[in-house]
Amino acid sequence: MQNLLLSFLLFTPLVAASIALFIPPGAAKGFRYITLTSNIIQLALLLMVIIGYHSRDGIQFIEKKSWITLDLGPWGVLQAEYFVGVDGLSLPMVILSVVIMLITTISSWTIDKNVKGYFLLLLILNSAIIGSFIALDFLLFYLCFEFMLLPMFFLIAIWGGPRREYASIKFFLYTLLGSIFILIVMIGLYISVHSPESPGRLVHSFNMLHMKDESNFISGTILDPHNVWNIGPFAARQWAFLLLFIGFAIKLPMVPFHTWLPDAHVEAPTPISVVLAALLLKLGGYGLLRIAYPIFPEAALYFGWFVGLMGVISIIYGGLNAMASHDLKRLIAYSSVSHMGFVLLGIASVTAEGIAGGVYQLFSHGILSGMLFLLAGVLYDRTHDRNIDNYSGLYRKMPSYTSMIIIAFFASMGLPGFSGFIAEIMVFLGAFKSGSINGILHESLAIISTSGLIIAATYYLWTLQRMFFGPFHIKGNHTGEVLVDLDRREYLMLLPLAAAAIVFGIYPQPMISVIDPFASDLAQFIMNARQSITINP
Amino acid sequence: MSGEITLPDTIEVITESAAQFVPELILTSGILVLICVGLLRRGKSLFSILSAIVFTASLTTILIHWPTDEVPRLLFFDMLKADSFSSYLKIIFDVSGLLTVWMSWSNHKLSQRHSEYFAILMAVVLGAHLLVMSVNFAMVFISLELISIGSYVLVGFAFSKKASEGSLKYFLFGSVSSAIMLYGMTMIYGLTGMMNFSTIDFAMQLINTRSSLLFIAALMTLGGFFFKVAATPFHPWAPDVYEAAPMPVVAFFSVVPKLAGIGILTRFILVLGVSGHSSYDWQTLISIVAMLSLTVGNFSALWQKNPKRLMAYSSIAQTGFLLTALSSFMDQGVQFMLFYASVYALVNFLVFIYLQYFESQGIHSLESFSGVGKTTLIPSVFILIGLIALTGLPPTAGFTSKLFVFSSLWESYQASGKSILLWLMVFGLLNTVISLFYYLRIPYFAFIKHGTFQVKTDFLRFENLLGLLLVLAILILFFNPGLLMGWINKINFVL
Repeated sequence: MQNLLLSFLLFTPLVAASIALFIPPGAAKGFRYITLTSNIIQLALLLMVIIGYHSRDGIQFIEKKSWITLDLGPWGVLQAEYFVGVDGLSLPMVILSVVIMLITTISSWTIDKNVKGYFLLLLILNSAIIGSFIALDFLLFYLCFEFMLLPMFFLIAIWGGPRREYASIKFFLYTLLGSIFILIVMIGLYISVHSPESPGRLVHSFNMLHMKDESNFISGTILDPHNVWNIGPFAARQWAFLLLFIGFAIKLPMVPFHTWLPDAHVEAPTPISVVLAALLLKLGGYGLLRIAYPIFPEAALYFGWFVGLMGVISIIYGGLNAMASHDLKRLIAYSSVSHMGFVLLGIASVTAEGIAGGVYQLFSHGILSGMLFLLAGVLYDRTHDRNIDNYSGLYRKMPSYTSMIIIAFFASMGLPGFSGFIAEIMVFLGAFKSGSINGILHESLAIISTSGLIIAATYYLWTLQRMFFGPFHIKGNHTGEVLVDLDRREYLMLLPLAAAAIVFGIYPQPMISVIDPFASDLAQFIMNARQSITINP
Repeated sequence: MSGEITLPDTIEVITESAAQFVPELILTSGILVLICVGLLRRGKSLFSILSAIVFTASLTTILIHWPTDEVPRLLFFDMLKADSFSSYLKIIFDVSGLLTVWMSWSNHKLSQRHSEYFAILMAVVLGAHLLVMSVNFAMVFISLELISIGSYVLVGFAFSKKASEGSLKYFLFGSVSSAIMLYGMTMIYGLTGMMNFSTIDFAMQLINTRSSLLFIAALMTLGGFFFKVAATPFHPWAPDVYEAAPMPVVAFFSVVPKLAGIGILTRFILVLGVSGHSSYDWQTLISIVAMLSLTVGNFSALWQKNPKRLMAYSSIAQTGFLLTALSSFMDQGVQFMLFYASVYALVNFLVFIYLQYFESQGIHSLESFSGVGKTTLIPSVFILIGLIALTGLPPTAGFTSKLFVFSSLWESYQASGKSILLWLMVFGLLNTVISLFYYLRIPYFAFIKHGTFQVKTDFLRFENLLGLLLVLAILILFFNPGLLMGWINKINFVL
């Protein structure tokens, strides 16, 4: 039981989906409750994982079963495994996924168009998300990573807003382009890597842990670290890192690959925006930390300044765009771009603080962006209008709503006492330190990036002032009567997130003690790689 | 080949060869039976059943006579070669034949001249059988013409003005390319003095002949094969022909003649390459053709409004992927190409079965798919899975086959360091993204657009059962590609 927990976590939604398949489409309630049940079972399983997790033990709850073993004669054996586990990077992401998916289900309660299709897709999406966070086999990861696209495409395209068709296609094409880049590297990696578990036979393995170890590379292959293979201006391994970086940066998203995000967010229905912002974006940062950095450490160091610079550009550019947005969802979408820039900056610093800050930011942004999109959805449900300029003095009509907004805004702009602050302060620490201990990032990058906080404060406070304070009036075809305050269901989905934002801001230690071993190991591993590469060029 | 060949020797060779030639003999007698029965009886069901029996019999005999010996057998005085490579392709042809028979039986537009229709269909399959076994230029030409002439007639089987036009276009294109190919073959014969291209002597001649005429001659010969597989720049016939032909014939065309062409192309190009000793870079040539086919096929497909034309351009792009597998010039690449071809055949039939189903419901353009997903859920979901597999997304076998193709390409690049292979990989993968755009168009209209499509059908149709089988096959081959790959692996390529 103990060692099957992750599989249960992964397959519960799929089982629920296959049960739901046989419920007649008319029974709308059935689908809601079956999804909710599956989410609650997942929550229980998650608690068991958390209780059994020891933060110092590295990867835990490992399950390893053979999946595809293909004997290709002289060419060797192609081996992909069902290989899952959690460590200090994936556990926060899994916690986030389970909680957000539960809240998404509650938020989806009001969906009444083609309920069966909606919840089936949501359940499939749930499995795919959990799967990509726990997979330790590249093929398994890629399967889950790709398998998210199709449900997401239909969820945006069928249940979305007026320009949903454009937005969903754009989302699909952008992310598919990103995953193609990842696919190229995956093919190159498994051809170059030999599994050490079966000596005497040539076994091409998709195991990500094998890919980390440079002694597993078959000598003479393109990605062999001891045998530099140049393609144009860069070495093959540097190209591979760049491809992975762009692939995950599209998902993250990083400026200039971010343009799909505002469209997708604005057009997606509220619950799907929540999943998109809180979970799917996290895969970008997760992929960098799980795949790009550990497998190509020396290339990661080589491009370290570039990653950091793109992070800073995303922080500033995303923030400025948010400031110029008139649509509330678009504003939140651009603020996501800005916040994800902090993740990049933290990772690029290759310090324990920076990486831990990046992971903490992933987690914290998951909570906060989820909350922000839910709040935007609450207003949209009432008025079907998200234009910031059309509202003023909402505080007078919806006091509880306004207090929730204030919590979410303040947490998101990184005010002390909220989770965003902890994440950003750690990123800054890492970025400042990087200049003196490993020389990857110049101090100026850290200094410039702090202005991101000012920009965030500007657009959030300005929005607060424009929409919520001052005399009450609204523009548009609706009267003030539709503006009722939060109901019980909305409290149910907002309060846990608000509580989490505060708890993880005041007492971050439990989460940090989970993340920290991973972050310091990774920073250590990457810096060691530099030494070993410079000794044997 | 020297010395007197006496009559008893001849008879002995013929009887020995005939033992290896049973599937083809069955098909030949099947054609005769169909024509004779057609003189006496009419009725589509009768001929469908007869042809299904013939294809099944041929399929069974291929499996019984599966070549186990390491050394391939040469039949009929070195005209044909029976090896596991050709046997494997022949299985695909016969299965495709069976599926086409079933599609034709349920197609209501094919309402006359059934005995001729099925006889010609069988003749084309026979031609495909012979083509993939041929190792002699004369035999190649004869079997290619057997396929071509049958195809010209099949295109016109809707008996409409458009069908005749398509048939005539195909005929004109086809005869020109056959002529070019024949000219190329005669030049090769003139330069080497040999008709049989699978011998060591022929390979030696290729290495020793420095004449650039040889390059031109081989190029012309390849042109004929490229025409059959609809590779750019020999592709313009495909959209018109696909649009004009009845749906079962389109499905058939997109698989059987194409894979037969790929089969002979594989044999010929590996001979031309003489395992790297050739003075010309055939690998680059194949790579360029593959790149062109991918790009032209995919970009042209973007603008199509008719599902048949869309599938025509899709099939051009898929040819590009088959050639990509071939361009690695390794045994492994050819094996992966066979895997790709098998998956492609399954997926293509899945898509065409449902295109035919929707056509019978009066849907002829992409727009008219609007709202179909709500009333006919199962066909729409199955066609979605088929198109996703053609794009090459997991969890379908389409992904596995693309993964294999690009693996062999990467391996080949690693071995040779030719940058054209790297470019081919980049082109191929980027084309996957482009192809998604048009492959999603049918599901896009079906699920997302609102329409007035009101036909409600029952789930338990034979189409859905067959579709379910194909869908399961496509999914199972993703989760366990070893089922098929283990078998393909045993195929040897002593060419």
